[in-house]
Amino acid sequence: MDETVSEFFRRTILKIPLTEMMTILKTWNFLSENQLQTVNFRQRKESLVQDLVLLCEENRASLNDAALLDIIYTQFHRHQKVWDVFQMSKGPGEDTDLFDMEQFKSSFKKILKRALKNVTVSFRDAEENAVWIRIAWGTQYRKPNQYKPAYVVYYSQTPYAFTSSSQLKSNLPLLGQALTIASKHHQIVKMDLRSRYLDSLKAIVFKQYNQIFETHNSTTPLQERSLGLDINMDSRIIHENKTEKERVQRVTQEIFGDYPQPRLEFAQYKLETKFKSDLNGGILAEREEPLRCLVKFSSPHLLEALKSLAPAGIADAPLSPLLTCIPNKGMNYFKIRDK
Amino acid sequence: MELANTLSQDGESRGGVLAHLERLETQVSRSRKKMEEPQSAQAEESALGTRIHELRRLRDKLRAEVKQHQASVKASTTNVEPDQTLEITEQESLKRKWENVKAILQAYRFTGISGKLTSRGVCVCISTAFEGNLLDSYFVDLVMRKPLQIHHHSIPVFIPLEEISAKYLQTNIQHFLFTLCEYLNAYSGRKYQADRLQSDFEAFLAGPLQRNSLCNLLSFTYKAEPEGQSFPFCARLLYKDLTTTLPTDVTVTYQGTDALSTTQEEQRAAHENLFFTKPLHQVFTSFARKGDKLDMSLVS
Repeated sequence: MDETVSEFFRRTILKIPLTEMMTILKTWNFLSENQLQTVNFRQRKESLVQDLVLLCEENRASLNDAALLDIIYTQFHRHQKVWDVFQMSKGPGEDTDLFDMEQFKSSFKKILKRALKNVTVSFRDAEENAVWIRIAWGTQYRKPNQYKPAYVVYYSQTPYAFTSSSQLKSNLPLLGQALTIASKHHQIVKMDLRSRYLDSLKAIVFKQYNQIFETHNSTTPLQERSLGLDINMDSRIIHENKTEKERVQRVTQEIFGDYPQPRLEFAQYKLETKFKSDLNGGILAEREEPLRCLVKFSSPHLLEALKSLAPAGIADAPLSPLLTCIPNKGMNYFKIRDK
Repeated sequence: MELANTLSQDGESRGGVLAHLERLETQVSRSRKKMEEPQSAQAEESALGTRIHELRRLRDKLRAEVKQHQASVKASTTNVEPDQTLEITEQESLKRKWENVKAILQAYRFTGISGKLTSRGVCVCISTAFEGNLLDSYFVDLVMRKPLQIHHHSIPVFIPLEEISAKYLQTNIQHFLFTLCEYLNAYSGRKYQADRLQSDFEAFLAGPLQRNSLCNLLSFTYKAEPEGQSFPFCARLLYKDLTTTLPTDVTVTYQGTDALSTTQEEQRAAHENLFFTKPLHQVFTSFARKGDKLDMSLVS
């Protein structure tokens, strides 16, 4: 086995936490049960990794096998990457999309290899209809850098692709082109949507985040909603502003629904607007040029945080549509200009 | 001749006359009184008499009421059940009616399209089925406004919902729902066939089943007899019409280098025809049955 490949194996296996080692190796399914049983998983990590690399060498593991292991690791640790969303579009009146996964894969690989001689492309099917693509970029003169790969997750017969933000931004147009042509679309556009939580991004663009529907079969009636006011509290306690609190709860529920919000970490607003003031005069009011500023909301779970603002009394209900439109519009980057 | 006596003595007679008049007056008043007394007495008597009658009547009435009350108390302690059971049966029958209606509303989903009114409009449920098997249900929550809007839905992203709603949602809601129903039922049916092939007939497949989101392109290598000598064929099924559960294009090929014998060619053509006309899993069921028949022939 090539030294670079061996080193790549070593570094990839070293990344895997000991608690997940067995699971990931079993998912990889490259080393047999018997082989795994010969390894002592309780030893120090460095020695364990060495043993595993030796086993890989025995099995004549290739670069592609290592790339596959890397994909599996990334699938387990998808939150470690920040994902962008691209939207593709077809021309009008196209025939039924007869998506052939094998055709897609070979077409995608061919396009990249034609443009860049040095590139490693690996695929792993996921779920029923998705594929994870790993791309290690090289240049005309340099071998692919296996330690800074880009990932693409694509669900067949959908117009959306999710890519891990590649540090090598120059290759983005090529990636876009390959995706578009291989999936038989015409155009590709980067959406203003970014997050670590791939599943939330998927829920947002596939419009799967609100899956609560009223049916005659539902056992829990929707009317039973705790209004946040504990009705069982002591009757000697009177809630001031009870009607206002109930109004806030109702408005919040109308906007955010009863379902769990998709998870985003931030929303960013780039403002390019002229200064507006009620007071007469002032230096800023006379300024012709628009002011530029950036407002960024960060949270471990932004949408849940926004949902709790009005009930907590921190903001008025209803919240600004700039905040509440995030999942509907599928955006968390906004540019606001004067009309 | 009392008068004479009174007259003879003038002094005495005047006193006599006056006194006499007085005497007569008192006599009259006395006799009047005497006459009145029985009248008033009579009146009193009659008054008293009527009062007695009244009191007696009242007494009888009260007596009767007491008797009645006592009787009804006795009766109520013994006849408590009939009254209450009347109420209970009413309640029960209402509850039964309500549950019946609820059950009918719930059973509507077996018709394929059912709905429930919401505060905004209506939530339509499209229940898909294939060959008598109830499959997934999909929902479309509509907002009754001009223009009609879809609030949220559970239609998979690869079903052309935008296209269908652009064509029919505003103009013909029935057509919109029926078209959507067609697409979803066909998708469910194709998915069912692909799932059945993967799970029940794994032994017949030489490699993994290639499929896509819409299950409208299936590609696999199979053997008509899992352990037998039959040759592996490659099948490629295309479903260009998204509203059907049978393929529009079928190609069965042989991957080997040798040319096919006539029997093999016949088999290939027959298989192609089978895939065109029968659902996928049924084709493999018939392969399995043929295999059983062969076994039977070997045994006998």
